[in-house]
Amino acid sequence: MADLTTKYLGLSLSNPLIIGSSGLTDSVDNIGELERAGAGAVVLKSLFEEQIMMEVDASLREAYQNDMIYSAKSETLDYIDIHIKERTLSAYIELIKEVKNKVMIPVIASVNCISSAEWVSFANQFEEAGADALELNIAILPSDENTGPESIENTYLDIINRVRSQVKIPVSVKISPCFTNLAMMVRKIADTGINGLVLFNRFYTPDFDINNFSEKSSNTFSTPSEAGNVRRWMGIVSPRLKCDLAASTGIHNSEDLIKQLLAGARAVQVVSTIYKNGRDQIQKMLGGLNQWMDEKGYNKIDQFRGKMSQAETSNPAAYERIQFMKYFSEIQ
Amino acid sequence: MKLSLPEKQNRNMETTQDILKSERQQSWREDLRKSMKAKERTSRERVKMLEQDPHIRNKNHTEVNVGLTEEMAIKEAQRCLDCVDPTCISGCPVNINIPKFIKRIEQGEFLESAKVLKETNALPAVCGRVCPQEVQCEASCFYVQKLKKDPVAIGHLERFAADYERNSGNISVPEVEERNGIKVAIIGSGPAGLAVAGDMIKWGYDVTVFEALHEIGGVLKYGIPEFRLPNEIVDVEIENLRQMGVKFETNFIVGKTSSVDDLRKEGFEAFFVGSGAGLPKFMNIPGENYRRIFSSNEYLTRVNLMNAANPDYDTPVFSGKNVAVIGGGNTAMDSVRTSKRLGADRSMIIYRRSIEEMPARVEEIKHAQEEDVEFMNLNSPVEYFADENGNVNKMRVQKMELGEPDSSGRRRPVPVEGSEYDVEVDTVVVAIGVSPNPLIPASMPELDVTDWGTIKVDKDSMQASIEDIFAGGDIVRGGATVILAMGDGRKAAKGMHEYLKEKVRNK
Amino acid sequence: MNKIVEKEQLNNNVVRLEIEAPRIAMKRKAGHFVIVKINKKGERIPLTIADADPDKGTITLVIQRVGVTSHKLCMMNEGDTLADVVGPLGHATEIANHGTVLCAGGGVGIAPLLPIARAFKKAGNRVLTVLAARSRDLIILEKEMRDCSDEVIIMTDDGSYGKQGLVTHGMGEILDREKVNLAVTIGPAIMMKFASLTTEKYNVPTIASLNTIMVDGTGMCGACRITVDGKTKFVCVDGPEFDAHKIDFDEMIMRLGAYEDQEREDYEKYLETVEN
Repeated sequence: MADLTTKYLGLSLSNPLIIGSSGLTDSVDNIGELERAGAGAVVLKSLFEEQIMMEVDASLREAYQNDMIYSAKSETLDYIDIHIKERTLSAYIELIKEVKNKVMIPVIASVNCISSAEWVSFANQFEEAGADALELNIAILPSDENTGPESIENTYLDIINRVRSQVKIPVSVKISPCFTNLAMMVRKIADTGINGLVLFNRFYTPDFDINNFSEKSSNTFSTPSEAGNVRRWMGIVSPRLKCDLAASTGIHNSEDLIKQLLAGARAVQVVSTIYKNGRDQIQKMLGGLNQWMDEKGYNKIDQFRGKMSQAETSNPAAYERIQFMKYFSEIQ
Repeated sequence: MKLSLPEKQNRNMETTQDILKSERQQSWREDLRKSMKAKERTSRERVKMLEQDPHIRNKNHTEVNVGLTEEMAIKEAQRCLDCVDPTCISGCPVNINIPKFIKRIEQGEFLESAKVLKETNALPAVCGRVCPQEVQCEASCFYVQKLKKDPVAIGHLERFAADYERNSGNISVPEVEERNGIKVAIIGSGPAGLAVAGDMIKWGYDVTVFEALHEIGGVLKYGIPEFRLPNEIVDVEIENLRQMGVKFETNFIVGKTSSVDDLRKEGFEAFFVGSGAGLPKFMNIPGENYRRIFSSNEYLTRVNLMNAANPDYDTPVFSGKNVAVIGGGNTAMDSVRTSKRLGADRSMIIYRRSIEEMPARVEEIKHAQEEDVEFMNLNSPVEYFADENGNVNKMRVQKMELGEPDSSGRRRPVPVEGSEYDVEVDTVVVAIGVSPNPLIPASMPELDVTDWGTIKVDKDSMQASIEDIFAGGDIVRGGATVILAMGDGRKAAKGMHEYLKEKVRNK
Repeated sequence: MNKIVEKEQLNNNVVRLEIEAPRIAMKRKAGHFVIVKINKKGERIPLTIADADPDKGTITLVIQRVGVTSHKLCMMNEGDTLADVVGPLGHATEIANHGTVLCAGGGVGIAPLLPIARAFKKAGNRVLTVLAARSRDLIILEKEMRDCSDEVIIMTDDGSYGKQGLVTHGMGEILDREKVNLAVTIGPAIMMKFASLTTEKYNVPTIASLNTIMVDGTGMCGACRITVDGKTKFVCVDGPEFDAHKIDFDEMIMRLGAYEDQEREDYEKYLETVEN
């Protein structure tokens, strides 16, 4: 049996398989089951500032339409955003405390904020509640034609710096690939001294129904093909950076897991495959990793991590190939 | 056992178009309309309420509004055009027959006017003082809607008629139907409960009001200060109810002293829960538990209910020289103006939006400004500091600016980065709202409540998920106004009456 | 209006009053308290219900005179009435058979501890009690405590009765020699703080019954707020008992002193009128 122990964000994990932020990680019971099923760590379901604001808006709408809820002149309604925020935050902090009481595996709190002032206060409270680390879920879709790329990038860096200056627990950030120059962005993020970087955040994509012209949801789950992009960038940036890297999106089976480790990841985050295949998938994936390591003669992950990264692979140029050209198609 | 027919009362409670029309055609109304041309009526300025001088009144607890003289009242009543379609009535949460009571004043029949008020409103002296008329009846007045002028001073006139009656000693006690012996329990003696009591007793029920505190009146006594609503006035209205036969039991907490089930066993057939929104909300910012930082409930209860400012009374209160009140509603206004009267040099309002957006009654804001209250708008506290004894001595405040509108159309306050500064304070009152008192819902787990702890009820009958339980006021609304609570009470009374008729029929 | 039917002077400063309150007597369980207001101008104060007799329709309060209101109460006599008594308030103590329960009562805290100790004994627990006070005459209800405890250790600061030392010494003696499953502590805040620190060392789950400043007692004003496990709780509706190891005692002690100076002044003025 190989030794799967891994260090991620300075935390000791029994294996590199982390359950990512999702509905799987939103309750004490669920997380307990995931630990029992062998997960190396969990990232709690993200606390969304936007969701809080949406809840506030919904409350306000309800109140104005139905004066049975709040009268328009009530003080409570006037400060409803504070009340809802406090309630949601309290519940999340309760969750952190309860989970920490129940499980031994590392628990990473996750927060998604859209206003920069809130980040720090949330982060502080999670640290106090006992979270082992923090994952900043900064997701900005560059759809505003008036906001330049530098401005967006500075927002990320500003948030990261502010949070890091306030908390002592390890901090990581999960990003999307939507940057003009991803390599430069990743470098800037790593230079802040952040403990970890998660590639990549997977955006929800809206869809619509062509028959009744209404909005519908789509692509709830990832597909393995989406892991390719993660792998590419993991391979490119992992040799360059000191911070820990985690891979996320499209990692469904042990082969996907092994590939990310080979590309240079310290850990992987999985969600969709657990939804689809159940918690047993954890053991299947770890079992596959074990078996492969035995076959190849590895007994520690350190021995092969990054072996196929751009720095170590025999054909580094392959990482930069973006066109489907006949010349390359013969090289597999 | 004979049950009264609700139709007769119905007519008074739900003023239908036909009834209004026929009343308007009565000769006395016609005569009044003919006595003065519409042009003359509309050419007048709205009456100005007589008020105590701000710098005198900010040191005493007597009512700020002194009241209208008879002449002023009649002159103002003459401004009312007695519209064919009185839009003011629909602006009133209890549908008071406004033109009728105003025309009685014009006629000089002040006691009759008070009677009209009492047909739909058990506490007219209260409502005339505390209703936000500017967004209710007066906002719907023809003057505002069509003429773009100041509305008829409906609130001041209501107060005038109620006060006149009270001072005359000729207080009319509405007719009470023959007793039917059916026991109903009202939990909470605030405006909602009193409104239910007022109606149920008229219909002949055996009414008992259970109150947790040692005084009757709920927020009317502990929340609203003497200088806005003297407790003495509340007592007169309550005495009226006693005269009609309502029983009051103080120091009785339903859910603790006895449960609803116990009361059922004692023969109570229906219940109204009007236990209010008593739970104070704090901001949960660092330092909020230091000494001399109060919830508005605590501050006002000490002063209004326990008379803490009076050295003859044992309950203490601390109110210092630099008082900051956080919030923008009526409770915040009440708190900050109380602090002025208790000797503050600086009485400050810290509110995160602009003054125009404050939910407090316009009159309260105006009175507060006159009394030298400092309005620090677009500010919000972020932390408190204290001395070595734990007494608050400093408040850190952050400036706000107005950002994108939320779904109600109001612009969201957004903190301005790096704008924090400190203010010296020795007392802080947090008035950012309240949440429903959890006692009753906790004692009846089968009762459907919202996430907020408010009781879910049917909008029309105010019946809750347990059939013999009705509810209204803040326990349903989460923090509203006296008049809305009363409106709920009246609806609930109707709902309870219907329910009990069925219950008796099916026995 | 609640009539005093019996009065007993337990010592110079402590009085036991039996009061008519039939409805409260019916509902009362160990751990509950009432809010009392003597007369129209009086203040509302919380007092733990030491005992209740549902058949007689009475409740028993034990009051130590430490200020104006408690002094006035102690001066009242059989036949006098209290203007307002409301309850039962707070959550009752959760009674179960834990095995061995350590009850630690300080000063007038012994009174509310008694019904709890009785209830635990009735549920089958081995009850070990430590009673502590500054001196002999402040130890109250000793006989009653002995009747419902398997062992009683008495500690006085000045050694005038029992052993000399603090409550924590007595507790330590018990904790050192046998396994305790649950501890309950009631008394002055500072005493409960140290009692709690003691049991924490031995990993014994501990309940503290708190007595803070209160005005309405029904959860309406927040005067009684404390911090438990990082969250704000109201002693009157969430308590009065809490997990002692999670209570921020320092904050509670700080808040308790809010009216100290004024109360002391008022009490001194009042005592002058009484003596004259």
